[in-house]
Amino acid sequence: MEILKVENLSKIYGAGEARVDALKHVSFSMERGEFGAVVGASGSGKSTLLNCIGGLDSANEGKIFINGRDLFAMEETERTVFRRQNIGFIFQSFHLISELNVEQNIIFPLLLDYKRPDKRQVEEILEVLGLENRRKHLPGQLSGGQQQRVAIGRALITRPALVLADEPTGNLDSQSSQDVMDLLCKASRYYQQTVLMITHNMNLTAQADRVFQVADGVLGELGGE
Amino acid sequence: MEHYLDLVRISAKRHKKESRMTRLCIVLAVFLVAVIFGMADMEMRAQFIQAVKSDGSWHAGFLVNEEQRALIQARPEVEQAARYGALNYNLKDGYQIEGKETVICGLDGELLEMFPDMEIIEGEFPETAEGAVVNESVRGNLGVQIGDEITLTTPEGSVKEYQITGITKNTALTAEHDAFGMFVSMDGFQTLHAKETGAAMEEVYFVMFDRFCNIQKTVADISTQLGLNQKQVRQNAKVLALLFQSRDPYLVQFYFVAAVLAALVVFAGIFMITASMNSNVARRTEFFGMLRCLGADRKQIIRFVRREALGWCKTAIPTGILAGMIVVWILCGMLRFLSPGLFEGMPVFGVSFLGLAAGTVVGFITVLLAARAPAKRASRVSPLAAVSGNAGTIQAAKRAADTRFLKVELALGIHHASGSKKNFFLVAGSFAFSIVLFLAFSTAIDFMHHAINPLRPSAPDIYIYSGDYSNVIPERLVRELETYSWVKHAYGRGCAEITLQEGGNETAYTVLSYDEQQFRWAEDSLVEGNLKEVIEGKGVLTVFREGSTLKSGSKVTALTGEEKREIYVAGVMGDVPYDSGLDSNTGNRQGLIICSEELFRKLTGEHGYAVLDVQLHSGISDGKVQKIRKTMEESCGEGISFSDKRIGNQEAKGASYSLAVFLYGFLAVIALIAFFNIINCIGMSVSGRMREYGAMRAIGMSVRQLIRMVSGETMAYIIFGTIAGCAAGLPVNRLFFQMLVTSRWGDAWEMPVWELLLILSVMICSVVFAVMGPAGQIKRMSVADTISIR
Repeated sequence: MEILKVENLSKIYGAGEARVDALKHVSFSMERGEFGAVVGASGSGKSTLLNCIGGLDSANEGKIFINGRDLFAMEETERTVFRRQNIGFIFQSFHLISELNVEQNIIFPLLLDYKRPDKRQVEEILEVLGLENRRKHLPGQLSGGQQQRVAIGRALITRPALVLADEPTGNLDSQSSQDVMDLLCKASRYYQQTVLMITHNMNLTAQADRVFQVADGVLGELGGE
Repeated sequence: MEHYLDLVRISAKRHKKESRMTRLCIVLAVFLVAVIFGMADMEMRAQFIQAVKSDGSWHAGFLVNEEQRALIQARPEVEQAARYGALNYNLKDGYQIEGKETVICGLDGELLEMFPDMEIIEGEFPETAEGAVVNESVRGNLGVQIGDEITLTTPEGSVKEYQITGITKNTALTAEHDAFGMFVSMDGFQTLHAKETGAAMEEVYFVMFDRFCNIQKTVADISTQLGLNQKQVRQNAKVLALLFQSRDPYLVQFYFVAAVLAALVVFAGIFMITASMNSNVARRTEFFGMLRCLGADRKQIIRFVRREALGWCKTAIPTGILAGMIVVWILCGMLRFLSPGLFEGMPVFGVSFLGLAAGTVVGFITVLLAARAPAKRASRVSPLAAVSGNAGTIQAAKRAADTRFLKVELALGIHHASGSKKNFFLVAGSFAFSIVLFLAFSTAIDFMHHAINPLRPSAPDIYIYSGDYSNVIPERLVRELETYSWVKHAYGRGCAEITLQEGGNETAYTVLSYDEQQFRWAEDSLVEGNLKEVIEGKGVLTVFREGSTLKSGSKVTALTGEEKREIYVAGVMGDVPYDSGLDSNTGNRQGLIICSEELFRKLTGEHGYAVLDVQLHSGISDGKVQKIRKTMEESCGEGISFSDKRIGNQEAKGASYSLAVFLYGFLAVIALIAFFNIINCIGMSVSGRMREYGAMRAIGMSVRQLIRMVSGETMAYIIFGTIAGCAAGLPVNRLFFQMLVTSRWGDAWEMPVWELLLILSVMICSVVFAVMGPAGQIKRMSVADTISIR
């Protein structure tokens, strides 16, 4: 089942001599449960691609379909609600909410929908993340690896069809990086969620089903496992 | 870049926008202090000008003999001294020029410097006992000039000739009582006094001391040394009060209130700047941690923060002071415009050194003190925390937000406000201070309403009346006077006694007639009923009197000669500015009823007026007033009195204008500062959390939810600030009211409902505007750009 479909996506910054073609006619699609990795040099357009797919940035041309819904055809508010229900975000610098504890950070997207979190589901996620004993801790009281695990839990709590991870291991040591990769793989294999991850570390692409490379705004596929 | 502190300059250029709100806050705080102190200074100057004009600039007056006078004059504290004596001050003793009562003042020429109102406008002070200065009334009425002779007749019937050496202005006393006035030298006065009274002369020795000496102590010393009793010493209470030299218990209380208000203003400024600085430095802990990481020691970080703060002062303090001065200039301009004659001595572009100094000192010292705590905190940021990214751009939370009872965005908003106790205390405290300031200053308005009676709209400039209040002034005089272009209004009142059958008794009432204009003015004092039927001549108005049976809607029988006539009471007035006649049986004031001119004629059978009031356009010359007087004399003949009330009116107006302009100015400035401070504080808090908001938007928080979060934060500050402000402000309001009003006029304190409503409305408006700005910012925010900023 096709979860993500990107059609002829182009993104241009600036104009005239300052014009930068961040993305040039990018097209690809991903199936349910697929794990994709995007590699590329700094400034190649990786993050722009992820921001466009996540509906955080607009495109100059092209379309993005998630679960069959055209992302750019939606109104801003509709897109925001769609994002929190269907897309999970994981950032390099975690972006946890410092005033919320581990459990509250994880259930935050549900709270935004004014839904009562399912206790069993929360327990399960905390167990998978290995954070049962840290549930009442504030982000400031956690290590970088633990914070990123909380961010992964937050991305998974709504059981989104698509998880977008922007260099999730960029700030972590090797052990924590491996933990994060294991969790993302688990999301993809066990929960059948589509994961698209940006990374600089070619070693991490070994666990991906598909590897894309972005160079000067052009997307190419390197293959996969 | 040659020194590490040069980074301050470079960073300031780079982060101009980020530091704008802190600079704005310093500007607001300095503006508040500069404008309040500047306005207070200017108001003191205005009141001083007023007091000197009406009462003179002397400090103390002594009833002493020649020997004692010499002893006083020899004291080093004495700056100026002169003798003064008066005859016929009550205008009843029979000293007359051409049949008109004349006040005779004997004085030393130096006295004129202490009494600007006695200024000689033409000619000079007499050098001999035979010379005299006369007032403008004498010149206008008798057509005399300098060099002419005038004749004074005394009560004993003797006649004394004086040669006119100068002309002085009319005073309020002589103008109002249509009397003449003349100054003679002290020698001339002593001769006249000795000849006429044969008694020892009582002359006052007016003294002006060095204003920086302790005047009360000096007066007490003089009294003790010379053995003077209380009756022999008088003090110029207003001038001494304005020089902070009074020991009157009420004025001491007044000084205390003024000192507390000044301290409150200073504290409000300190609070505002501290809150802003704290928030600014707290937002940049990561930056300071990075500096630590690069090798800066704690002292260097503290120096960095201080230098940065002083850099803000360089532009913010002059801007605040300039803005304050402009407001003070506008208010001074308003005073000069409203009362040009009275405030001509006030400079429009005057510089208040008090406001300037207060603003600068509060600005600099507060910024330096306020920078201490955040600088220390910045210096304590661990370099490890900075490089690991744990320092963040905002303060790390110490406890989690409670999301159990409120929607998550509201819970977070409230937590943003209350997360840091110090920040919450400072921001909500600065809001609370605005309320305390407003409530404290509003008692000054109550004081003003009690202390100064503003002129009623119906107050006349010229008051023409028959001595026995018989209706001998012809109605046509009104029409004649109204033909003069300088007459704004002319209106008469008939006056008669009428007997009403009230509760089986016959009671004498005074009945007055009003024209339409007077009824319009009376509308504000109407307590019950309506004026329409009274104007149409179908009913009368009665003035409220305890125990009276005349109520609105009742009917009463009037005995007019042999006839009985039923009259309808169409309304009740609270009060009127006129006295009724005395009841011949009880000696008490009669009740008062007011009716139309037509009904007055029917009820009393009388035509004409007992009183005729004239209001003039501003800046009318004495010559035109004399023209009115001539017209009156031609129309009415003898037996009619003419009273010129312009000087007294101007003094009353001036005092009320200047106080009103400055006191309402204080309140407006405080409300305005509260408004901008709230908007600025919320704007600062939001801009400090933009990255966090960006992440929330990425996770799925909608713009509306974010705006609700900001509203929640704002409301938390406002609600706490308002509760704290009212809890502290109301007791202050009560205390000040009791000190300024209750102790003097006995009025009990009441909850200042209107003041509370007003300041709460300002707070609510501020919330709306405070949220509107960030809401636009959030709507325009690019989520991708915001979260990608490292």
